[in-house]
Amino acid sequence: MPNSAVLQPGLQQPGWQIDRFVVTTALTGFVLLGLLIWLETAPFMVALFVLGTVLGIALYHGAFGFTAGWRNLVVTKRGAGMRAQLLLFAISSLIMVPMLYSGQSGLTGAVAPVGTSLVVGSFIFGIGMQLGGGCGSGTLFTVGAGNIRMAVTLIFFIAGAVLGSIHLPWWLDQPGFDPVPLVNTFGISGAILVQFVGLGLIAWWVNRIERKAHGNIERDELLWKGQSHGILRTLISGRWPFTWAILILAAGNALTLAIGGAPWSITFAFNVWGAKALEVLGVNMSQFEFWTWDYPAMALNDSVLTNIPSVMNFGLLLGAMLAAGLANRFNEASRNRPEGRQFLAAVVGGLLLGYGARLGFGCNIGALFSGIASASLHAWVWFACAFAGSLIGIRLRPWFRLPN
Amino acid sequence: MEQAYSRARILMVLGIILALIMADHLSSPTFAFNSGQGNVATALSQRDATACAPCGAPCPSTRD
Repeated sequence: MPNSAVLQPGLQQPGWQIDRFVVTTALTGFVLLGLLIWLETAPFMVALFVLGTVLGIALYHGAFGFTAGWRNLVVTKRGAGMRAQLLLFAISSLIMVPMLYSGQSGLTGAVAPVGTSLVVGSFIFGIGMQLGGGCGSGTLFTVGAGNIRMAVTLIFFIAGAVLGSIHLPWWLDQPGFDPVPLVNTFGISGAILVQFVGLGLIAWWVNRIERKAHGNIERDELLWKGQSHGILRTLISGRWPFTWAILILAAGNALTLAIGGAPWSITFAFNVWGAKALEVLGVNMSQFEFWTWDYPAMALNDSVLTNIPSVMNFGLLLGAMLAAGLANRFNEASRNRPEGRQFLAAVVGGLLLGYGARLGFGCNIGALFSGIASASLHAWVWFACAFAGSLIGIRLRPWFRLPN
Repeated sequence: MEQAYSRARILMVLGIILALIMADHLSSPTFAFNSGQGNVATALSQRDATACAPCGAPCPSTRD
């Protein structure tokens, strides 16, 4: 059987190819895991699994990578990816801050302490982003799409996260202070306004860089239509305009909060997976303080199918696999296997990502995206420190034979 | 287009992941509870309202 199938009749789109094997495999995995979650947990967990899948499709089809967006601004002086992220944060802030702080019980925001741990962790994470080739969501969706180098990054991401969990209590004892929700100072409307001003200032800075380098600004982040195909084909096989991905990701995070009680996060699941693997090898994780805290202890002791970040990550992986199959690009990035220094970059990058994510209270999704959507000061500190780390990572990339 | 991957390898990797998930679940309190064992504490809603961060970390002000 050929690897890909040409959809001819009915769709009237000659040359439109999908990878039937990958699409069928992803859908089978989706149904099997979905049924298992349905049978063994609760309907809300199934909803979060489906949501994770949709987010995986959006990340892949929207090519929504934080890492590349930051690198493009620094290297090519193009800011569309960065502005798309800022737009996403603004929309999410507008939706989720009122949800979180209007007195509705059972909802918890992504707020975290501000201090040494956050600064060091997010800075390290920023370096890791550029060496590992992705952030938390970027690593997951590219692994789902069959990228072998990113699978190496993910394995070491998990290892770094577990190491970070063991060291986190020490880092928390270094100078720092309790979480600062901006709503406490400015109120709901004021916090949204303050964040809009902050995001607007960054957008102005990004525009200034792009205009200075090119004399104009490419407004790719505002495109509503795919440039090469019709709407149906673009929806199914990509590539989506940024606006589609922005809206799906913003709605997805708000729905995650509404259904799961907390905003979207990714990297905590890596801690759980790594700790479970170590327990299988005979390591008693409860000897480490982190794993005696209530939430980590609960997550470690029970099934991964009861852990929201894990369930959403499974969906995200399958969603990205499905999207890559629909785009007929599964495993496309792995034709050249990582060797030598590129492999080393995946190892080092993964370790830095994992360690940094744990110290920094999350990745671009859990700490930055969900943090700003929760109007938490720590997200802004994370943003600044991770971007600074990313500048170092970009400078290091050539040594690792990674293109800039 | 030349095939960029091995189908058998894809199925094997996904099979291993599914097996790991199943093995973890079958040894969990949630599975024991679903199987009729009443005296186990499950954690379907893994929340810690006193935590200071999404990972469950305590507040710096509460640490000695």
